[in-house]
Amino acid sequence: MAMSDEDLEKAIIEKAIKAPKPQLYIKDFYKCDPDSKARRIKNIANGLVNKGELMFWSSGSTTMYARPDRIKNEEGAEGIN
Amino acid sequence: MAKHDTPLLDELEKGPWPSFVTDIKRQAEKKPDCWDILGQLELSYKDRITHWKHGGIVGVFGYGGGIVGRYSDVPKQFPGVEHFHTVRVNQPASKYYSTENLRALMDLWEKHGSGMTNMHGSTGDIILLGCRTEALEPFFWDLTHEMGQDLGGSGSNLRTPANCLGQSRCEWSCYDTEEACHHLTMHYQDEIHRPAFPYKFKFKFSGCPNDCVAAAARSDFAVIGNWRDDIQIDQAAVKEYVAGNYPANGGSYSGKDWGPFSIKKEVLDLCPTECMWMEGDELKIDNAECTRCMHCINVMPRALRPGKVKGASISIGAKAPILDGAQFATLIIPFIEVSAENEFEGIIDVIEEVWDWWMTVGKNRERVGETMQRVGLPTFIKVMGLDPIPQHIKEPRSNPYVFWEEEEVEGGFERDVEEFRARHAA
Repeated sequence: MAMSDEDLEKAIIEKAIKAPKPQLYIKDFYKCDPDSKARRIKNIANGLVNKGELMFWSSGSTTMYARPDRIKNEEGAEGIN
Repeated sequence: MAKHDTPLLDELEKGPWPSFVTDIKRQAEKKPDCWDILGQLELSYKDRITHWKHGGIVGVFGYGGGIVGRYSDVPKQFPGVEHFHTVRVNQPASKYYSTENLRALMDLWEKHGSGMTNMHGSTGDIILLGCRTEALEPFFWDLTHEMGQDLGGSGSNLRTPANCLGQSRCEWSCYDTEEACHHLTMHYQDEIHRPAFPYKFKFKFSGCPNDCVAAAARSDFAVIGNWRDDIQIDQAAVKEYVAGNYPANGGSYSGKDWGPFSIKKEVLDLCPTECMWMEGDELKIDNAECTRCMHCINVMPRALRPGKVKGASISIGAKAPILDGAQFATLIIPFIEVSAENEFEGIIDVIEEVWDWWMTVGKNRERVGETMQRVGLPTFIKVMGLDPIPQHIKEPRSNPYVFWEEEEVEGGFERDVEEFRARHAA
């Protein structure tokens, strides 16, 4: 059974805090609730950006998610290879 | 007065063609920060390495696309380009502008950014080059509130949809590409402005198989106008072409004397499936063999027209050579009705079927065409709930192994995998 929105939000935030790398792909959050559809997890993750719990990091071609306190500000951000 | 010596860049002004160096120098007279574009580029030419860093957390509130962060890695040397973000603005369908709109947009960019532009980017957007982080929100406010325009897509978003001129200018367009592009742009605003996928995803809409927006080569999801019945023939007009009274190709080769028009040499012999012939002075077409190359229609537009039962073909999976090689889209649906009356329901159903599958199965930074290549076309067709048809075949089979599913074999078969594995380890 899929998690509630609240539980899924918590699981995504926890994943973003504990992941070895600060930047995560949307697919990394799929594992937070294998019973949820990809589109729902995307919507919850994007909602967390609006709430300030996550930030988008974009290389221009790919977008990743990160906790605001785990990522350097834009002037110091490093590109992905 | 130039701020930096740029002997290498100056070489690029010496040819007979227009030079971006001259353009930037002209702009630098108004916007002195632009001298630092030239200074940094000159340094890159000397060092043989880029001095741009791309990417970052830069953007406008609520959006996860439309802004591409760009910074100088030598900002003390070139402070004018310390921040030099790219802004993508959604272009109008078919890129129809009023000069009033273009002037207002350029004034806005002179106010908030460098004034440098790229009209248009590969995806089709208006590309505005060079903006500081603190100017992004004010620019976005003015763009959306004063001009009623919006940002386009970037990152792992649905990219700004693009279309050919369609029925606004072209008699061959088999559906209203502008309406389709506009409708789907509005329908998928969330996917354009916020990341949704493992990687980028592009729609493009062409009205006929001439594919003037190059959807088959440049988009993950190409909707290309097509017809299901016979090419319409006006035999009287055919006779006029044969008699040399109508110019071939709409007169587009009129600058040189190519000799008298030969329907055999210029049309019949060039048909890739050899499905056309003359019976006396009548042109005949075996329409079942027509591959919609459009050559005959292009050569004799007054005599031949697309059929009357119009719609589109959907091809999926084209991409430029980023990770793997470049690939063309694969034809998946030979014909689908395209109608604004049902709000393009048929196309939307196919799009969402592809997305639901690709969002789950696609690897990070893998275009849908690469996912299709990885799992194989038979699997993709099965996922899409389609029956294989001859048009899906790209080339003769080279894999000699054939695996049958139980339901594909008359009478089925029983196979206990666990019992088999007990005797034969995997």
